[in-house]
Amino acid sequence: MALGTAHSLKAEQHHNPPSQASPDPRGESATPRRRCAEGSGSGPREEAVLSGAAPPRAPARPAAGCCRRLRSLRAGCARAACLSRLQALWLVRQRLEEQSLGAVGYASLQLCFWFGYICFGSEFKAFTGVFPGTMSCLTMKAHCRDKRGSFFKLIDTIASEIGELKQEMVQTDVMVEDEPADLRSLVKNMDNVSSEKKDVKGCPRDSGYDSLSNKLSILDKLLHTHPVWLQLGLNDAEATEILRAQPPGIFLVRKSSKLLKKVISLRLPGDCGSCLKEFAIKESTYTFSLEGSGISFADLFRLIAFYCISRDVLPFTLKLPHAIAAAKTEAELEEIAQLGLNFWSSPANSSPSDASAPRKPGPSDSASKDSRQLCLINGVHSIRTRTPLELECSQTNGALCFINPLFLKVHSQDVTGSLKRQSLKSQDVNGTERPRSPPPRPPPPSINSVLMSPQLSRTIKQASVPETVNHKKERDLDLLQSKPTPIPPPRLKKQAVSAEVEGGSSKPAAVIQPACNSVRVPAAADVVGETPPPQPAPTASKKPAVSSSESHVPWNGGRQRLSDMSISTSSSDSLDFDRSMPLFGYEGDTNSSLEDFEGESDQESMAPPLKPKKKRNSSFVLPKIVKSQLRKVSGVFSSFMTPEKRMIKKIAEMSRDKRTYFGCLVQDYISFLQENKECHVSSTDMLQTVRQFMTQVKNYLSQSSELDPPIESLIPEDQIDVVLEKAMHKCILKPLKGHIEAMLKEFHTADGSWKQLKENLQLVRQRNPQELGVFVPTPDFVDVEKIKVKFMTMQKMYSPEKKVMLLLRVCKLIYTVMENNSGRLYGADDFLPVLTYVIAQCDMLELDTEIEYMMELLDPSLLHGEGGYYLTSAYGALSLIKNFQEEQAARLLSSEARDTLRQWHKRRTTNRTIPSVDDFQNYLRVAFQDVNSGCTGKTLLVRPYITTEDVCQLCAEKFKVDNPKEYSLFLFVDDTWQQLTEDTYPQKIKAELHSRPQPQVFHFVYKRINSDPYSAIFQNDDSAS
Amino acid sequence: MMAIRELKVCLLGDTGVGKSSIVCRFVQDHFDHNISPTIGASFMTKTVPCGNELHKFLIWDTAGQERFHSLAPMYYRGSAAAVIVYDITKQDSFHTLKKWVKELKEHGPENIVMAIAGNKCDLSDIREVPMKDAKEYAESIGAIVVETSAKNAVNIEELFQGIMIRTVCSSSLASWCWLCRRLLVSSELAAGLGHAAVPAVLGGVCLHRDSRL
Repeated sequence: MALGTAHSLKAEQHHNPPSQASPDPRGESATPRRRCAEGSGSGPREEAVLSGAAPPRAPARPAAGCCRRLRSLRAGCARAACLSRLQALWLVRQRLEEQSLGAVGYASLQLCFWFGYICFGSEFKAFTGVFPGTMSCLTMKAHCRDKRGSFFKLIDTIASEIGELKQEMVQTDVMVEDEPADLRSLVKNMDNVSSEKKDVKGCPRDSGYDSLSNKLSILDKLLHTHPVWLQLGLNDAEATEILRAQPPGIFLVRKSSKLLKKVISLRLPGDCGSCLKEFAIKESTYTFSLEGSGISFADLFRLIAFYCISRDVLPFTLKLPHAIAAAKTEAELEEIAQLGLNFWSSPANSSPSDASAPRKPGPSDSASKDSRQLCLINGVHSIRTRTPLELECSQTNGALCFINPLFLKVHSQDVTGSLKRQSLKSQDVNGTERPRSPPPRPPPPSINSVLMSPQLSRTIKQASVPETVNHKKERDLDLLQSKPTPIPPPRLKKQAVSAEVEGGSSKPAAVIQPACNSVRVPAAADVVGETPPPQPAPTASKKPAVSSSESHVPWNGGRQRLSDMSISTSSSDSLDFDRSMPLFGYEGDTNSSLEDFEGESDQESMAPPLKPKKKRNSSFVLPKIVKSQLRKVSGVFSSFMTPEKRMIKKIAEMSRDKRTYFGCLVQDYISFLQENKECHVSSTDMLQTVRQFMTQVKNYLSQSSELDPPIESLIPEDQIDVVLEKAMHKCILKPLKGHIEAMLKEFHTADGSWKQLKENLQLVRQRNPQELGVFVPTPDFVDVEKIKVKFMTMQKMYSPEKKVMLLLRVCKLIYTVMENNSGRLYGADDFLPVLTYVIAQCDMLELDTEIEYMMELLDPSLLHGEGGYYLTSAYGALSLIKNFQEEQAARLLSSEARDTLRQWHKRRTTNRTIPSVDDFQNYLRVAFQDVNSGCTGKTLLVRPYITTEDVCQLCAEKFKVDNPKEYSLFLFVDDTWQQLTEDTYPQKIKAELHSRPQPQVFHFVYKRINSDPYSAIFQNDDSAS
Repeated sequence: MMAIRELKVCLLGDTGVGKSSIVCRFVQDHFDHNISPTIGASFMTKTVPCGNELHKFLIWDTAGQERFHSLAPMYYRGSAAAVIVYDITKQDSFHTLKKWVKELKEHGPENIVMAIAGNKCDLSDIREVPMKDAKEYAESIGAIVVETSAKNAVNIEELFQGIMIRTVCSSSLASWCWLCRRLLVSSELAAGLGHAAVPAVLGGVCLHRDSRL
């Protein structure tokens, strides 16, 4: 199998010449060679035939440089090449954007094919094998779709290319000079590739079928084993201690107390001097990057994964401990992760350095030596690692830096898949005796490139988005794979859909879109949670592809369609394509016969979909289709998620999971609140406790280790609170919203305030604006209706922040009316009266509870901003209305109302200024009761997962107890003593006690086990609080 | 990236004295396109560099009418500073100002920096409030005082610069000297206010050269 892979890699190289010769739009030169390919039934033969191919002409198009570069992509499986490939992609894109008209469209299209061909040689091969059959069915529409498909392909290609690269990087640390100047060097490179592939034979990667082991990408490994390397709490000395014993390249991520930043502590070679160096990690609002580097990442894992592959600003790449690097299953990784920090000292970490050497050359000397040797052997230019500058990936060129990290992960799996597929395909193709042909040439320049370029760039962006997909999905994937259950090929669904559309009508491609959407949207609602990434690329499959050499026939019509197409190119389509690979390989493993088909269809997806030929097939697998479609949908949706969204989703999931402590906390609180309506004396009281609970849970979450991976690794530090706040809204306010509203209503009805408000609203409404102090234009009936609609929308929101956003919109509308194009700016003197007037006109009692809800539940940090200002104004306006009658008499708010305001102010301000010393934080106040010294208290650092046993040990140290065995930790609550057993977690107990809505006085007391509990406690009751 | 320190400033004063004009002038001169504008003039923000920090003024306007007086506590809560504006052509507005000062002393946030702005100094020929009165009063309460003209952009910048210095310094120093108040109106300060400038201008007279500025 390994040989086969090597072969196919080689073979695909040989496919290059034909397409290379294709700048000529008519592409005659491609034909003979295609015939060669058609004739070749088996790999070796084909190779032989193809290697005889004439050297290619250099492409004449302006994109020639790109082409060359692209060509080199396949050849250079080097770390440096990784970046240059990206650069090439970038160039392609730029080129497409730069060139504006006519021929350029063609050129770009060609590039796509080109690129696809280069990167997907063998798939193209197989794909072209299907060609002859489809040629006859060529239509204009096909032509159009052909082009469309090619763009998706480009994206797909880019993605898989990078994914593959990464995989290669994992295996080999070789650096090769890219950009072979001519075919000769190309061939050499190819040899390089293939020889390397052979080298790797022993590695799981090459065994196409049993590549289970290989599905673990670096990112996976990092995600699984973060308890080992992500040690934010570690201090300098500890880090040095750990790393000293490690080989160079090993790293830890921790938080430096000096820099107050996260740093990568990297073990340098040599034992002398400083054996480790720190590289600071810069966190901006949305990204993580290494200081000095222009490459930024969505989260820490991606950053580390990248630096395991590319050194960028580091002296050499990061190296995973051998045990992790060699781990083949998740279980192994989990085992390692279980060790946590102990991993470093455990026997598991004893790295058999010899074993790891060849495939994972140590950084520094050995690495470069290694690579140099390889390079020399292969006659390739020596290594030249590029700095970010050289790579044009400085900040200004942001996109590049993003593509890389984002693609890293998912497509690493692709690679596995695609490798497998390759072999599968060739067999399949051979088996079915499909003739082969070289890749199709792009259709003639029928493209309106004005439309095209933006579209392409858009699609590229879209393509990069999905790569942020939750790693969890990959795990799911893995799970899927390990399960013997066949996975329905989701592609088919879309296929079916498009097939219908195609079959049913000759409508332009745009039609497909709505059709697909209609399938998806409802589906999305059903599928919650993590499902595997969306499936591929549908449209193409099973439909005879179009050969471009034929397709140039009626391309006038094609232009028309193309413009349709560019409209229809929606994210979902390109996503499907883009993400088509991952599941694929796995399916191949589990679902053989069908998969063969699939494999075939997938290659075909390189070509535009065309004929409804396979429609029968798709209908026959329909149930599977449906399932997979669902999966795809949810995949598509979740793939848009930013790390922030993922985190929130994860927290929300955790909050529903009663197996987690956090979940218990939240669920218990929610049900408690819902069941005990009488436990709050007022609406304010209730909202306050809810807010307090949210703040506490937030504190708990930010410090507990329950979140896996830790939030710090996904969210830049200054954003953590924002993200947690949003998560709190989702997991606490969302389920409680209905209850809170009902309760608020109850309270206000009970205390008569609503009745009063209602009367006063009536009263105020009868006044004319001038009586209310309004001397500017006021909103008319229509505007008031608009505002009412906004307020009603507001009622539906559970998040106080979103409500505030709507309030701001209302205020904006009021301003617009006030200013009435006069250009005058109005301050509060004018605004507040108008706001009062408007609120009265809206006549919505519910506004009162809405405002209260926002006032009490809004994140305190937002109270000083614009939202806080207008919220205050709205609250003020409502207070004025509520006190309208009194105001008429005294022209002042009642003293009671003033008091309320002051209290609120005090409460909320205190809430803000005093960081709630909590309760869920890592501190535990322990009283020590001793016969001689009476009672003393100490605050100890106790993390949530520290057991009573450890706490006792700590106490023995802190309180200088001579015979610790006689002492134990007790909980004094409800006037009773409970000795805590050794395996309990004091912090959890404390958190639990705090989460009780009725606060109880409790103390942790460290005291002699047999002493009379009542002798001391009463006199020392408050010592531990 | 520089740290951003948020500074809530509350505007108090009779209606019609030009509270919002002052803010509009302050915010809209040197308009920074990077800052998303607020939805209305009642609440405005402006970010000003100060040393190695950025200070973001969050300026809360209040309604000056008597009937809204009772809402003021909600607006000035949590403020680092209050700008109390009077109209130099209206003696009444100066009286109101005194009421505000009293209220702030009683109910306002602790250590709130008070700045008194005598607006409409372009109309000094119909002045009703002598500058001396204002200065003496400000001194007695330890407030910044400055006569401004929102119309002609006089001393607006200085007013807020002064607030900035005061809020920064008051956080590290217990008291503030008289010199500093004079400093506020000096043009050198308005021009630079850089890290180095402050000690030079102060010439060692004032303690706050040791402060973080």
